[in-house]
Amino acid sequence: MGFRSEQNRIVFVLVVGLMSWLIPGGGYFLLRENRRGTIILVTIALTFAVGAYIGSIGVVDPVGAKLWYLAQILSSPAVAAVGHLTAGGGYPVYGRPAEVGQIYTSIAGLLNLLCIINAAYLAYAGKPSPETD
Amino acid sequence: MLSVFYIIANFKVPQEIGTSPQSMLLLLPLVAAISVVYKATKLPEITAKEFLKESALLFGSIVVFIAVTALILCAVAWLIMS
Repeated sequence: MGFRSEQNRIVFVLVVGLMSWLIPGGGYFLLRENRRGTIILVTIALTFAVGAYIGSIGVVDPVGAKLWYLAQILSSPAVAAVGHLTAGGGYPVYGRPAEVGQIYTSIAGLLNLLCIINAAYLAYAGKPSPETD
Repeated sequence: MLSVFYIIANFKVPQEIGTSPQSMLLLLPLVAAISVVYKATKLPEITAKEFLKESALLFGSIVVFIAVTALILCAVAWLIMS
């Protein structure tokens, strides 16, 4: 992708990063990597949904579980709306389902962080980051 | 339509999960998600065959690593207890 200036490239990288956060895989759609974007969107949304289903939406708790919430909100800013809904403590969440739900939803957020960074790298360098495994 | 409301309502209460060894199987979907997303970010080109092969390979590697770790921890626990 040709850029007129380095400033344009930085703005594009930031837009791709922001889109990746707004919608999981969104940055890849901007880069016309539709297959990658679709796989990521479906997988992250499903992982988050499974976590919320197992533990109830009460696992998103911006008051009592701040660190988990930090990881969860990396999935999408839409999680903040869920957090606003559950902040009053009106949804039951306890025991093993709460642990499993928190792990699933937080891993979904952390996976999206990986995708945000990778999409931004792809926007900057024009090719996927090298595999290290 | 009613079933949609039923599913949505289920998001408001936690599901029943016991503390049986079978509950450890809940890690499998998570490992699958991690493998799929990781490979989606790393493969230079996404083709169905290559993508499925690579994801399955990573999934298997993680599961084997977890199983080996669990066995080692079990052995250590057994040695301490005996």
